[in-house]
Amino acid sequence: MSEDQDKFIADVVEKALQGDMDAINNIEDRVTRSKAKAALVKAKREAKAAATEDTSKSEESKTEESAPVVKSLSEKVAACLNEKFPNSLESEDVNGYIQMKDKNWFEIAQYLRYNLDFLFDSLQCVTGYDFGENEDLEVRYNLHSMTHNHAIEIRIKTDRNNPKVPSVEQVWRIGDWFERETYDMYGIEFEGHSNMTRILCPEDWAGWPLRKDYETQESYHGIVVPKVKDGWE
Amino acid sequence: MGVLENRFQDNVVVASMDKLLGWARSTSPWFFQFGLACCAIEMMATAASRYDLMRIGMIPRSSPRQADVMIVAGTVTMKMSLRVKKLYEQMADPKYVIAMGSCATSGGPYWQHGYHVLKGVDLVVPVDVYIPGCPPRPEALIEGLLKLQEKIQADRPLTKKIA
Repeated sequence: MSEDQDKFIADVVEKALQGDMDAINNIEDRVTRSKAKAALVKAKREAKAAATEDTSKSEESKTEESAPVVKSLSEKVAACLNEKFPNSLESEDVNGYIQMKDKNWFEIAQYLRYNLDFLFDSLQCVTGYDFGENEDLEVRYNLHSMTHNHAIEIRIKTDRNNPKVPSVEQVWRIGDWFERETYDMYGIEFEGHSNMTRILCPEDWAGWPLRKDYETQESYHGIVVPKVKDGWE
Repeated sequence: MGVLENRFQDNVVVASMDKLLGWARSTSPWFFQFGLACCAIEMMATAASRYDLMRIGMIPRSSPRQADVMIVAGTVTMKMSLRVKKLYEQMADPKYVIAMGSCATSGGPYWQHGYHVLKGVDLVVPVDVYIPGCPPRPEALIEGLLKLQEKIQADRPLTKKIA
């Protein structure tokens, strides 16, 4: 019975696809009719998916040949910087962020802030990053433009043993505290900063707490720092 | 009352000087008002009208010179610990300290991995009453204050202490 029914439904769907909807509508049995309609919907959907796949393939081949690639903002900025400040980029690959050298960073920051195409008037965050033992440290800047409502991320690597990056405190005033915090937690010195001191930890604190090889000091002004109440556990 | 009955006029109270001083001191321990973290909110709630610390004679004072009790309410960082010690030293004798909440008693949630947190305020100043909780409810704080009042009352300032 069911095999016969399947065959029947397949037949009817075939007819319906060719435009003869009556073949389905005229089925007496309600269950069979609804099954046939479901099969028709499925068949139509499959046909549609196959069609779009074809078109998208053809579109892809088109863009490769003729249509101009739409550049992301990071790519635009990177291209512009490469032109204005040669050798300032660490790598040409732009993958959502721009990897830069610390050379000319102050001038580049000024350019990014005041150039009318970009107008990054807001420095939203400065973060440090530790890649681990014997690896570099990194500073990351998140820039945002109020006028154009766009944002980019800039990353600058620096040597672990002598971490120094030019300060952008004079470009964005908020950079003052951001850089002091990064200095406090990672020990990255920002050259040209007017007050490069710790901001959260006490001034006479030893070590850089957010580095991966950080070890807590034993005592601070005669007060024990690590936990001493072993009996409590 | 035997021999003492009707021998005195009104308004005369007979007590030992020690007990009298203890009573006077225990019923008005003004506390030094400074909050370091979320415990301070509970301390404020305790001092406000619903729990009303005034009815057990406690008034928040904003200077250590006028305070008898220091309630350390909250997380004491290493940077703050030196200041807490200095504030304690500025208070006039007799002075008492209450460690309110788990941060002030033991370092709380930071007690193992928090490099910047003092592992209990008793490492810096002598603590009389510990109040556990994170943060303790106002009832718990009042319980701790009543315990402190008992302790003050039991003190005998005039009696010579034999070591």
